[in-house]
Amino acid sequence: MRPILALGLLSLAALLAAGIAGLWPRENPVDPDPIAQGWGVANAVACVVLGMRLWDTLFEVLVYVVAMVGVRFFLGTLCWRGELRPVAQSPLLRRAADLLLGPILVFALYVAASGHLGPGGGFPAGVIFGSALLLLALAKGMERLSAELYEPRLESLEYVAAVLLLSLGAIVLILEVRTSAAFIAANLLIALEVAIGAWAVLHRFASARGEV
Amino acid sequence: MESLSGLGLSVALALLGIWTMVVRRNLVWKLLGLNVASGGGILFLVALSHRPGVRPPIVGLGPGPAADALPQALVLTAVVIHFATLALALALVILLTEYRHTQDARKLEEGSV
Repeated sequence: MRPILALGLLSLAALLAAGIAGLWPRENPVDPDPIAQGWGVANAVACVVLGMRLWDTLFEVLVYVVAMVGVRFFLGTLCWRGELRPVAQSPLLRRAADLLLGPILVFALYVAASGHLGPGGGFPAGVIFGSALLLLALAKGMERLSAELYEPRLESLEYVAAVLLLSLGAIVLILEVRTSAAFIAANLLIALEVAIGAWAVLHRFASARGEV
Repeated sequence: MESLSGLGLSVALALLGIWTMVVRRNLVWKLLGLNVASGGGILFLVALSHRPGVRPPIVGLGPGPAADALPQALVLTAVVIHFATLALALALVILLTEYRHTQDARKLEEGSV
């Protein structure tokens, strides 16, 4: 079994190498500046993600939402009856988390809102805010945080953001709007979406095991 | 040269991940292998589009040719989708462990538990 597998994997690698060998010498890539300026933005990656390949991004957000619904559904059927270990409280960590939360939130908003002008965008901003929530969960303990951030309301907010994003994408695709305002709105909605999804995953996994 | 070493590393990572997925019997190890293989795929896209001396694909960041923006956008998509599907797969593994009390793929397939 294993020699056959090793042989198969090596031949796969050889096929891959033969397939990409024709790429050298490299041709010069297309200059992305005129394309990006045609969409009214400065970041060519944002132009690709939210402009030329908007269908990809919309369905990616749909896959993300469906996966998060699946996580909620499957882990919601479990109820963990074990004894909850109290989280060790450290005042230093708690104060630091309280102090850091504001700047992290502002930075996430900045990254989302300026994603069409420079490095950034909705997905990194959502992940930044999700890691801020993880910091809070480590500092305060999961129960206190989930009492403060009530999940069902956030869940409906996530669906509203997904619907708004899909309708925005439909408007951009049908009316062929090419403004940077659409990019900013889409980036903010994607950031909201990803942050709430990351929070849902964190909360569900932690509450399925009963601890952080 | 960096491009070639990156390509070699990414292919090695992908092969290692697939090997782990096929050989290991524990479901969590299989997911770990999937994770490594997916990292190899992402690194492959990045290494394939690497060109020495290009500027970032942002308007107004100096003269010279800009990097290709398409692989960067693809990698962005791949990373997010990978996170979501990995979370879903881990949730399914937790559920299986809760109801069947094993993570051994062979025992689960035989139905002996």
